[in-house]
Amino acid sequence: MIPRSIRFVAAAAALGLLAAGCSSNNNGTTASSGGTPSGTITVWARDAEKDFMGNLVKQYNSSHQVQATLTVIPSANYVQKLGTAAAAGNGPDVSSLDLVFAPYFASTGVLEDISDVYNTLPYKDQFVPGHVAQSTWDSKIYALPFTGDASVLFYNKDLFTKAGITTPPTTWAEIRADAKKITALGSGTYGFTFAGACGGCNVFEFTPYIWASGGQVLSKDGKTAMLDSQQVTDALQFYRDMYNDGSIPSAAETDSGNQQIPLFTSGKIGMTALGAFAIPSFASSKVNYAATPLPGQNGGTASFAGGDVIGVINGTKNRAGAVDFVKWATDTQAQTWLAKNGSAPIRKDLLDSVYATQGQSFEMVAKGLEEGQVPFSVVENAIFNDNNGPWVKMIHDSVFTGNIKAAQATAQSAAQKLIDQAS
Amino acid sequence: MSTSTASLDQKRALPRRGGARPRSLNRRRQILGALFTLPTAVMIATFFLVPLGMTFWMSFNQWPLLGKHKWIGLENYSAALSDPNFLQALQFTLEYTVVITPILLVLGFGLAALVKRGNRPARFFQSVYFLPVAIGLASGSFLWLFMAQSQIGPMWDLMRRIGLIGAKSNLFAGHWSSLMVVIAMVTWKVVGLQMLLLLAGLQSIPDEVTEAARVDGASGWQRLWHITVPLMRPTLALVLVFSVAGSLLAFDQFYIMTSGGPSNSTITAVYSIYRYSFIQFKLGYGAALSVLLMVILAMVSAVQMLLLRNTDHT
Amino acid sequence: MISDIRRSLPRAAWWTLNVALTVLFLSPLVVMASMALKSSGDQGHIPPTLLPSHPTWANFRKLTSVQGLNIFHNLLNSIMVSVSATLLVVLLASMAGYGIARTKFPGAGIVFFVALASFMIPFQAILTPLYMLLKNMGLNDSLVGLTLVYVTFNLPFALFIMRNAFASVPQTLEEAARVDGCGTIRAIVQIMVPIVKPGLITAGLMAFFNTWNEFFAALILITSQEKFTLPVTLTMVASGSFGQIDWGSLQAGVALTIIPCIVIYLLLQRYYVSGMLSGALK
Repeated sequence: MIPRSIRFVAAAAALGLLAAGCSSNNNGTTASSGGTPSGTITVWARDAEKDFMGNLVKQYNSSHQVQATLTVIPSANYVQKLGTAAAAGNGPDVSSLDLVFAPYFASTGVLEDISDVYNTLPYKDQFVPGHVAQSTWDSKIYALPFTGDASVLFYNKDLFTKAGITTPPTTWAEIRADAKKITALGSGTYGFTFAGACGGCNVFEFTPYIWASGGQVLSKDGKTAMLDSQQVTDALQFYRDMYNDGSIPSAAETDSGNQQIPLFTSGKIGMTALGAFAIPSFASSKVNYAATPLPGQNGGTASFAGGDVIGVINGTKNRAGAVDFVKWATDTQAQTWLAKNGSAPIRKDLLDSVYATQGQSFEMVAKGLEEGQVPFSVVENAIFNDNNGPWVKMIHDSVFTGNIKAAQATAQSAAQKLIDQAS
Repeated sequence: MSTSTASLDQKRALPRRGGARPRSLNRRRQILGALFTLPTAVMIATFFLVPLGMTFWMSFNQWPLLGKHKWIGLENYSAALSDPNFLQALQFTLEYTVVITPILLVLGFGLAALVKRGNRPARFFQSVYFLPVAIGLASGSFLWLFMAQSQIGPMWDLMRRIGLIGAKSNLFAGHWSSLMVVIAMVTWKVVGLQMLLLLAGLQSIPDEVTEAARVDGASGWQRLWHITVPLMRPTLALVLVFSVAGSLLAFDQFYIMTSGGPSNSTITAVYSIYRYSFIQFKLGYGAALSVLLMVILAMVSAVQMLLLRNTDHT
Repeated sequence: MISDIRRSLPRAAWWTLNVALTVLFLSPLVVMASMALKSSGDQGHIPPTLLPSHPTWANFRKLTSVQGLNIFHNLLNSIMVSVSATLLVVLLASMAGYGIARTKFPGAGIVFFVALASFMIPFQAILTPLYMLLKNMGLNDSLVGLTLVYVTFNLPFALFIMRNAFASVPQTLEEAARVDGCGTIRAIVQIMVPIVKPGLITAGLMAFFNTWNEFFAALILITSQEKFTLPVTLTMVASGSFGQIDWGSLQAGVALTIIPCIVIYLLLQRYYVSGMLSGALK
């Protein structure tokens, strides 16, 4: 990890952010109460963040009196683990969590109300709106935006050129036509792929088509499922058509999220929707790629604002320390380092100044993140992210068997039932 | 299991040679035995019976992971009986059990017959067949998951070369094909255990019995069906009860290999309990499903033992 | 009967069948070893190659180089938990096995029945109560607590084996020892334990394999990263960022988990097999 820290130091120094020596008890944002926060705190993060979280915690510890210990938890079991621990009053002091779970943990009192902290942040108006909306429950703020990502459509420029396509698609019809042309190139190329057995992937990659066409999957308050709406039907039909065209490989049907990137980097795939997390893999491959916003049926664009929020766990014995860490995680130094190490910052000022400048794909992700949406629900996990949940079953059955209306009806009633039972 | 317990107790109840011994010695031995058993009993009571009791209690409550629980009587149970997801999972679990049990039994029996003669080569092959038993279910699942992957998996590639599957096929995309991959993995992993248990049963049959039948002119199959199988009934009962219980509680292999797919068609009963408890956080409902599953399992085991015991007397 | 099938089979056919089956049974392990040693270039090769073109330890090195995870520490935890759970299981199950099989104290049958009944319980069902219970006992996030849980879950099978092993020791042998002036405990240790040794080893190995490979309870019951056991760490190493699977490291991890079990099995298999044969079927 040495190269990373060198890179960080270089980046931070260049931006003039790193005061010499980084004195131990001076972090610009601690203002309010008397003493400097001290003691120890535990921080939980999911394993998808293992590559940068350890480094980030190290940076924090080297410049603060509060000493943080990191525990990395398998992503698939994160909610269950945090829930079990919190139920027993045994959770960490700070938790970074996928923003879609924030409403659940805020509504159940696992996260502590940190509106006071939020309101003192000088850059609070710079936060991307999707993350803040997810962290808000009953008009109070329960977490701060932490890491960002947004869904965009990646395409293989060489395949586009070969197929005689000059501009990236801006409507579904164009995506479908382009996919057909690329598939027609033969020798095992496919125009498009997606992860047909992965709920989390599809909420990230598929909902933007619906949003960009004016549709919704959930009502704004999260109380009504809208999986049977016309825009959802059309979007499913769009995927179904591409499958019927033969533009989607058979691997997509059981892809639980681990095949999209290798397929695309193999150079045999024309287009696939992914996020910033895929950029390092693409960059290290031979594929000549670019990104474009996910379009609506007849134009318009949308994106899913993904990433993590970071919050203080209710009942922490070191609130001052926990708050200090959470604030530091959103400040310019930490966010700049994250921006240079694969995670999009969650502040518009930094998105423009240090993230979008890294390349075309970064620019697209930054744009997506600024306008990104997230379905708001306390049962997000059960409806969307669960790989056996109603959302992915609807998509899978619609695309691969074609019975769209029936699949929608089943999913709608299952999703509504989950919502009703939770309230 | 209780068949064997009962017969053993009877056996030891008959020759009571210790009858002449002073009662106090017997009593002292009993106290010693009870003391010896105490730690085990305490462990099982603390970490098994107490949580089990709590599970029962939870099953009568609406019990979210976070927040307050509320007594709702039998509501969880009545909901379970009309829950299409759970019923489908139960049905699939039975389907899996019905398919895999005879496969394991027949292959286990065949392997036992192959290695029965305990010479050196036979013992070597016996060790090989038993080797996968030492491997964890999760490790085995990850290994076979890779082998059966489209394009990159060696097993998939071999099947394609033989012409069993097409160049674009995806084994995990079909209900039966994914079930078959799981069954192949489980067979590889546990058939050695079945082999060994059945081998013990085979070896307990005196050679003279079958020899006599041979002299009487019984064919190989006749001897197998009319002499070997009936004599092995206690072994078969044990193997069957263990194997069926294991299959009805299947979880890891499906969680890792199929993730319940395609289209939720390989979700087992325990998988469904896991989902209700840890994905939807309905702990009370999950507990009720667990209780129902236990009842079903106890009934199935009892029926098996009754059947195998009854034929014993005919 | 069955032995005749073998006798009547031509010798060559018997050998052919066994050798073919051996190849079938061992080939997954070859696949695992080959994949674990493949370089990242070899791994994605379509169609897959049988052997790595340039064998490398890179996948294993990757296991040790993930930030914040210390796989050797986790390996040590696994060894500690598995070994102590195994020893406890063997000790407790032998004591109880003797007590139940040979002294017939009132209630012995009940203890045995309850232990066996636990085969019927989906373990996931009692995990949450178990978590609450350990918390109340002050044993949450503790390797001791995890060990105790593992002991309990492996006791029933061990008890089953040990009770049957003790039951098969002839009554006269124990009496003879006592006549010779041995106390009961000395009679057990000096006369009976050597006889039930295969059973002991069988029970111990089963307990070791189970605890060594256990993932779910370890994940839920342990919260500090430095106390994680190997299976928990491996799932995190194998999954790259955002759900990609790194098949090479995954197979390296699987190999790391499997190899100790196979080595121990091969070392002790002589006892294991006879312990199974004598212990399981009474």
